[in-house]
Amino acid sequence: MKKKIGIIGGGISGTALGYHLSLYDDAEVVIFEKATIGGASTAKSAGTVCLFDDSLKNRYWDVRLYGFESYLKMEAEEKGSAGFDKTGTLVVATNEEVERTIKTGIALAKAAGYTGEYITDKDRIKDILPDISTDNILGAGYTADDGYFDGTMISNTYAKKFQKNGGTIKTGVKVTEILKENNKVTGLVTSEGEKYEFDTVVDCTGPWSKFTGEMVGLNVPIWHTKAEAFFLCPPGKKLSYTFPVLKYPEFYALRAGDNIFICKSHLSMDLSNPMHAGQWDPDKLPMTGGTDDYFIDFLLDQLDAKVPGIVDSGLVSSWLSYRAEPVDFWPILGETPVEGYLLSTGFGGNGVIEAPAATRDLAKFIMIGESTPLLENWAFKRLLNK
Amino acid sequence: MNIAVLIKQVPVSNDVSVDPVTHALVRESSEAMINPADLNAIESALLLKEQTGGKVAVFTMGPPDAERSLRDALALGCDEGCLITDRAFAAGDTLATARVIAAAVKKYGAFDLIVCGAMSSDGATGQVGAMVAECMDIPHVSEIQSVSLSSNNDSCVEIIKKVHEDKLRALVELPAAVSVNFGCNEPRLATLRSKREAKNKPLITYTNSELMLDPMMTGIKGSPTKVIDSFEPERSKTASMIKGSAKEIALQLKDLIEAEKGKI
Amino acid sequence: MASGICVYAETCNGKLDPVVAELITAAKLIKKETKETISAIVADNDCQNIINELSGLGAEKIYAVNTGRDMLLQDESAAYVIAEMLKKIEPSSVLVPATPNGRSIFSRVAMKLNCGMTADCTELLVGKREDGSCFIKQNKPSFGENVFVTIVTADNVYPQMMTIRPGVYQMAEKTTESAEVVYFDDIKAPESKVRVLESIPSEAETDSILSADILVVGGRGALEDGNFELLKKFADKIGAAIGGTRPMVDSGLIPFDHQIGQTGFTVRPKIAVSLGVSGAIQHTEGIKDTKLYIAINSDENAAIFNVADYGAAANMCDILSEYLLL
Repeated sequence: MKKKIGIIGGGISGTALGYHLSLYDDAEVVIFEKATIGGASTAKSAGTVCLFDDSLKNRYWDVRLYGFESYLKMEAEEKGSAGFDKTGTLVVATNEEVERTIKTGIALAKAAGYTGEYITDKDRIKDILPDISTDNILGAGYTADDGYFDGTMISNTYAKKFQKNGGTIKTGVKVTEILKENNKVTGLVTSEGEKYEFDTVVDCTGPWSKFTGEMVGLNVPIWHTKAEAFFLCPPGKKLSYTFPVLKYPEFYALRAGDNIFICKSHLSMDLSNPMHAGQWDPDKLPMTGGTDDYFIDFLLDQLDAKVPGIVDSGLVSSWLSYRAEPVDFWPILGETPVEGYLLSTGFGGNGVIEAPAATRDLAKFIMIGESTPLLENWAFKRLLNK
Repeated sequence: MNIAVLIKQVPVSNDVSVDPVTHALVRESSEAMINPADLNAIESALLLKEQTGGKVAVFTMGPPDAERSLRDALALGCDEGCLITDRAFAAGDTLATARVIAAAVKKYGAFDLIVCGAMSSDGATGQVGAMVAECMDIPHVSEIQSVSLSSNNDSCVEIIKKVHEDKLRALVELPAAVSVNFGCNEPRLATLRSKREAKNKPLITYTNSELMLDPMMTGIKGSPTKVIDSFEPERSKTASMIKGSAKEIALQLKDLIEAEKGKI
Repeated sequence: MASGICVYAETCNGKLDPVVAELITAAKLIKKETKETISAIVADNDCQNIINELSGLGAEKIYAVNTGRDMLLQDESAAYVIAEMLKKIEPSSVLVPATPNGRSIFSRVAMKLNCGMTADCTELLVGKREDGSCFIKQNKPSFGENVFVTIVTADNVYPQMMTIRPGVYQMAEKTTESAEVVYFDDIKAPESKVRVLESIPSEAETDSILSADILVVGGRGALEDGNFELLKKFADKIGAAIGGTRPMVDSGLIPFDHQIGQTGFTVRPKIAVSLGVSGAIQHTEGIKDTKLYIAINSDENAAIFNVADYGAAANMCDILSEYLLL
């Protein structure tokens, strides 16, 4: 008998999970997406699946590498299918702790056969990014082998592969009720009034997980931090060099066509500041706009000091996204107190990096019942103990 | 040259639906922006100012929150802002709205030129600019491509307007009003710095305490036309699919394109 | 007492604009209910030719003012003339083409007569008040056609003035019936502060996607062998500018300033034909306000079909090859 699995959410987490499940012969999977595939938080992801940076600690290097290489293969199979833009990455060390993280990252990248170097020669750093200020920095890590990807493209590619393997996708369909008997999930009901029977239901709704969990009476312990981003049009409209993925502890930037995308980083978020973190309704998030005024001052000061060559760029557009963050900033993966109700959510700003490895392991768990260290580390129960 | 630019704050998204019971409009999002064609109006005004000196004052009528759009306009380079807001002005039709805007511009000071966008992205009537001109008893040319200084006549501007297949070049005596088409120029962008500077530019608010208009001539009370109902068009969320052989599809495509071209 | 349906006979270079025949059809439909007289107003350098074109279309009366000069762009003077005419005619309704010229002149007329004006109607219906008198329900799209609203002119306000979108009503057929012609010789066109200097022939804007009325948008599907060449020929044929999604820009086929979407530019063409565009949200956010959006994509499940008005799940190469033969 086939195992029936319903996935709520067609973002990077839901489509990657669908794809990994569809590789098992005895899985029968339906993905429910209330809007479009990869169209919400995933679309607002910068897609910086870089070999090394300062956001995902080197502790989960294998997760990062698996994500990176999955997308490289996707891109090699069909150009554009992962939206890869190989610009290289420059990670700037402003203090010794960051420097250590970068150096470790470089060592790990080299061990996997990629290039990477830690540069202290400031002229060389300026060769890579002429608009940078090298004052007050220790050095920078650089690799030419990576860049950024496109979360929406990746989600759609996973969705296509999933469908090719026999999976079903319902877009424009909202899950309105999750059915339960004796604390065990039995199926769900959609906005179209249709009823589905499932052995397992997986919540892949990221910032919506709080609301999704309420349907089974589960308190999913995530809240939101704001990801505020701008598209900048550089002075002169076109840069004469390839703008690399640029990472500082406070913000990161990458090229988007001739423009530059810049976003306040995850690490610069102050969870006690209600301007930065809280619980909001992601349905009310507009596709563009919504940024706070403080963000302008923040970025102006940052760019003035760090990348003065682009501080007088034109503001093309902005957006606000909610990162779904559990209290310790790690995702929630796997079983919950409700039998048959699983989570693959809370990836914060790292969904595109972490989804391939996380959902690979989760698919194995669902189909074979076998756990992995990642599932242990990111288990729901760790949050219950706190 | 002193220029007044009239802008409108519009919803970013035109995704609105109609409440089936109350028939009230339900907006999916409250996010607002400067009407796209008004950015072309601002650009036209700033280009003229760069040629002649003087100042550009930007006006908008709307809820208090429309101040955000004025600040955005100031960040683009406008010098001064004027927010026209009062419950007595709310929900007016184009006529009642134009009366208020004209009164505000008159009260604010003397202007050589009034510039606005040809149409808003929400109401799309394209009427208010000409109505303001009528209230102020000055000439206007609407839906133009460009406005520039007249090379040999200080008291005029030169405009270009497309009429059917032709471009007309015309001289307009000042003071005058013009409305410019969306996309007629490339609006400049604000920068982080100009955004910060805009916070300190002068911005005043006019309510009816300042304008002292007869409340029967403004807002919903002063509007000769009224919305009595709203409904959603009968059409599905998805595209109507054209089927048939390649040739049949091509023929239908041509019919659709030609029919719509006729309306441009 | 205001009575009669009055149609503005818009002219262009001394000729009657074809949309006027459509407005007369709209007037005839109103007349069925209200039994009012249909009239037309003409204000032109020399009205005779226009009157000849108008007669037989269905207007029973034609009111005319010879302005003695071409009033092109002199909308403040034209508005004065027309307002004076309407004061004499006292119609209950005035139907104006929703053209740049119509809305420009009549916005001023509406202000002069304090009657207001409803813009861009797509349907006119007749309603009856309790006292038996008739009024016009003016239906018009709003919020980029996402909703329609019904507008009425207040009970005590006349005329009910509205602009009507071209192409909504069929053109009235010409018959041999003649119309009574009334010249208002006492209405003189005042001097205008607008003077046309010259007329320059212009071509369709196809070098900028921002100002183009018609856009052809290429997606990943347009990158396949030879498709882009076909796309260019198709764009030429329909007078469209070419925009595209990120893959088109990445491949170097079009410059970045022709990229539509969140990373690139937001456009508002009247007509867009997308070819091989999948419909990723980053792109569709930049083009969703298009009046007529037609999508061709070989994948019948492509998300673009949730955005487009019309779609064809077909090979773009086949369709375009056929189109170019038409």
